[in-house]
Amino acid sequence: MTMSALRRPGERDRLVVKFTQIDWTFCIALCLLAGVGSLMMFSVAGSSWEPWAGPHLFRFGICFALMIALAMFDVRVWFALAYPIYGIGLALLVAVELVGDTRMGATRWLDIGFMSFQPSEVMKVGIVLALARFYHGISADDARLSWWLLIPAAMIAAPVLLVAHQPDLGTAMLIAMTGAAVVVLAGLSWKIIGAAVISFAAAVPIMVIFVMHEYQRKRVMTFLNPENDPSGSGYHILQSKIALGSGGFFGKGYGLGSQSQLNFLPEKHTDFIFATLAEEFGFLGCALVLALFAAVIFMALRTASLAHSHFGRLAAAGVTATFTLYVLINGAMVMGLAPVVGVPMPLLSYGGTVMLTVMIGWGLVQSVRVHRYSEVTSGKGAFV
Amino acid sequence: MSEPSIFFTEVNERQGAFHRRSFLLGGFAGAGLLALGGRLAHLQLLEAQRYEKLSASNQFNFRLVPPPRGLIVDRNGQVLATNRPNFRLLVVKDGEHEPAPTLKTLAHFVPLDEARQARLLKEFERTPNRVPVSVMEDMTWEQFSAINIRAPEMPNVTADMGEVRVYPHGGAFAHVIGYVAKVNREDLTETGPNSEAILLHPGFRIGRQGVEKAFDLDLRGRTGARKVEVDARGREVRNDPGGDIQAVSGKTVELTLDVDIQKRALEVMDDESGAIVVMDCRSGDLLCMVSAPSFDANRFVRGLSVAEYRALADYERRPLLDKAMSGTYPPGSTFKMTTALAALGAGIDPEERVFCSGGWRFGGRTWRCWRHSGHGSQNMHEAIKNSCDVYFYQVALRMGPDHIARAAKALGFGQAFDIGIPGQRTGVVGSTEWKRTRVKRDPTWHPGDSVSYGIGQGYITANGLQLAVMTARLANGRKQLNPRLIKSVGGVEMPPGDEVPSLPFSQEHLDYVRAGMIAVANDARGTAFRQSQLGLGDVLMAGKTGTAQVRSYDGVADRDSRSVRWGLKDHNLYVAFAPIDQPRYAISVIIQHGGLGGATAAAPRAREVMRVALLKDPEIRARITQPLPMPDVSDLPPTGMAPDGSVIAPPPETGDPV
Repeated sequence: MTMSALRRPGERDRLVVKFTQIDWTFCIALCLLAGVGSLMMFSVAGSSWEPWAGPHLFRFGICFALMIALAMFDVRVWFALAYPIYGIGLALLVAVELVGDTRMGATRWLDIGFMSFQPSEVMKVGIVLALARFYHGISADDARLSWWLLIPAAMIAAPVLLVAHQPDLGTAMLIAMTGAAVVVLAGLSWKIIGAAVISFAAAVPIMVIFVMHEYQRKRVMTFLNPENDPSGSGYHILQSKIALGSGGFFGKGYGLGSQSQLNFLPEKHTDFIFATLAEEFGFLGCALVLALFAAVIFMALRTASLAHSHFGRLAAAGVTATFTLYVLINGAMVMGLAPVVGVPMPLLSYGGTVMLTVMIGWGLVQSVRVHRYSEVTSGKGAFV
Repeated sequence: MSEPSIFFTEVNERQGAFHRRSFLLGGFAGAGLLALGGRLAHLQLLEAQRYEKLSASNQFNFRLVPPPRGLIVDRNGQVLATNRPNFRLLVVKDGEHEPAPTLKTLAHFVPLDEARQARLLKEFERTPNRVPVSVMEDMTWEQFSAINIRAPEMPNVTADMGEVRVYPHGGAFAHVIGYVAKVNREDLTETGPNSEAILLHPGFRIGRQGVEKAFDLDLRGRTGARKVEVDARGREVRNDPGGDIQAVSGKTVELTLDVDIQKRALEVMDDESGAIVVMDCRSGDLLCMVSAPSFDANRFVRGLSVAEYRALADYERRPLLDKAMSGTYPPGSTFKMTTALAALGAGIDPEERVFCSGGWRFGGRTWRCWRHSGHGSQNMHEAIKNSCDVYFYQVALRMGPDHIARAAKALGFGQAFDIGIPGQRTGVVGSTEWKRTRVKRDPTWHPGDSVSYGIGQGYITANGLQLAVMTARLANGRKQLNPRLIKSVGGVEMPPGDEVPSLPFSQEHLDYVRAGMIAVANDARGTAFRQSQLGLGDVLMAGKTGTAQVRSYDGVADRDSRSVRWGLKDHNLYVAFAPIDQPRYAISVIIQHGGLGGATAAAPRAREVMRVALLKDPEIRARITQPLPMPDVSDLPPTGMAPDGSVIAPPPETGDPV
């Protein structure tokens, strides 16, 4: 009944109908993940809702409502706003460059009176929207290999360079990888992909030696050799591994993780919350949470493949790719497989900005799902 | 088909490509998550035990507990060094808490002035993170509780109860016992007992001088440990009493000293600078070893301020120097027994007479006797009794230095005794061989050297301990008695001082010399008759006075020591033993720059200390059925004042000028 309702143009514009089209299984998975995050924050705060567990749940609630609200907007609205959002994001990044707040040696924040925020977060959604919008307008052949591809290359390069200059290498890489994911999903020629991978591999040592800042280089070196410096920068990685390993199969028990409770684990409620989870709930708990993440990712990818518009497909898949990157990078960092780059675990980690970005992204994905039959007019090469 | 065909025409190449690529993305995500799961399995299942150990070593710490330091007691078990509770204020520096604002806050509760805060901040710079620094020792109970109440607001501050060393008798034993102090970087070694972690504990103290230093390892005891759960900043969260290791207190070191004699000896020294050593003539046990002026070792335990230290170090009378062991002085006339024994051994007839006219012409100069009017005809006995210089000039010249040196060495001069603590200076015992090898400037022994050697001047110096040993050996008359300071350590008796070879002197000669010493103190014309009366019935004392010059009197018209500054005044000495029939105690007294005379400055002090020693001896007490009243004590002169010239007193100048 619902399916047929959606196929009747008058019926599917009704809010109630739209509401039923939201992927509620997906939403339950999101709530479970946010709940696990809050549970761990309650534990590390010494069985207290303050200062993290309560605010985390509250923010999630707000963001969840926002996600549902955004899902109600037709995918054509997103389509129309794609370039403006990207343009605003880019303008804000330039503004940061000119008048931004400098904290801890990096200019990332923009003070807008009542609050300060990082424009680079806007760009995480903006780049997905803009690229999806662009690929919507070109043919498969052009997407594979053509001069047109210089445009998405420039669209990715501009924000990446601006963010890298702040300097915030972690976010710059995340934006670049998100953009690359969309470009690959859109059907880029394997030859180009292969060439890019090879040249990237060759560029890494050069980056490390000539381009990186001292603190970034130190992080990389520490990652390669954490035991060399157990109380300095290697401390984070080492303590995180101890927390994970000592958890064992069943974990030490809720509220009994000595690494996190006694503050050996740094950033136990933010970037390293997964280690807290691993210590107290062991392999079992971790495996369940990773399965939840897998479920979220696959449900979102399924949503992307359901979309009838190329814009919707690419936008949903792009958001999913960003989310996947967050999970994998944070997981690898916590487990000592990647350098400490300051990428949080989405939904689990405490932090408002990332929560907001991720939930806006899921709002876009749900909008694509709700409006999967919407037609999006194509204008080849058109920018509006 | 009601569906518009556009949906199907849209299923174009682009959609196909997207589907293939989105499968790829799914595969990538799945592979990545599986890799994370694999890594988790590796860490949490395979390496779990290793990380559990690391986690436990993070979580649990052993806090070292310094053991109570061993006691130091006197021969009767009186405590000379002990420990008392100490409320201590400790501050740790870590990443989150800076010491400077903490000190500012603490200054509201305990006296911490700006200068002290600055000094502590410097100490914090040297101290590694998480190692506590002692900010204040010996807080009052009020301060301690005030800090403890506010402890939750100051997580990097702890007020705890430790122990502090205390010396109940203040300065009386400062030189012998020494003191303890904070551990310096120089104390720490790579291996051995000084590499132990307990040395870094803020409550730990290391022995710095004397017995505290020499027996440091015995006094330390065995370090204990408390098992505690700590957080990442090293702060204690919980205690686990089951895992504690008890500290074992250090061994007790028992000294041969006697607290009453020692304290009386320091009292009689008054403001004078010098040393008093009392030795048991039968066992060799040292009953008293005092150096004056002294200092309060308790001040050193807390740490002296620079000003306090400078005051002690710059004071002319040098309180920090142990004059009983480290100060060497010409023995002066107290050396005449040695010369006499050497002369007897060299075959000189003691009845042979020498005429003293108050001076003796030899080698182009006049060698004066201390008594300008002369002693007249003297045999050896009279020469000892009167301390006649001319007699000993001539005797020494006749036999030469090597006889004297042999006798001196047999009596203990020129050597350091193994009494358990370091710091003895051996002094000089001159001989032709010694001068040839040691005096580069003038390696030949001149006859004139022998002349002054005979009266204990020139190439002969000794410390107070050696003088006491000499006296004890003379009094004992049989053995080369060695001094003993440490009676037992941890209940294990130390070897006594009387298991030694015999003296290389004939009994007859020793008796002869002792008779001379008895005459000095008991013949009404002896040089120290009046000052040697013990007032203990038939318990009598024998002695010998000495005055050692510290400047040349050549061409000095006024030889009266009273008019020159302190540092140029003569040293006054007295050695004695008692009782004369069955010698029990020997004493040596050195008054540095006393400026009076051996009889006037040193002998009354020796008598007073000797009385205390004798009266503490139960056998002597039994002998004194009816003690005579104390003699007139007005002969203990105030410093710098002339002694009154009563009839039986020797003349004011009791010195032995050369």
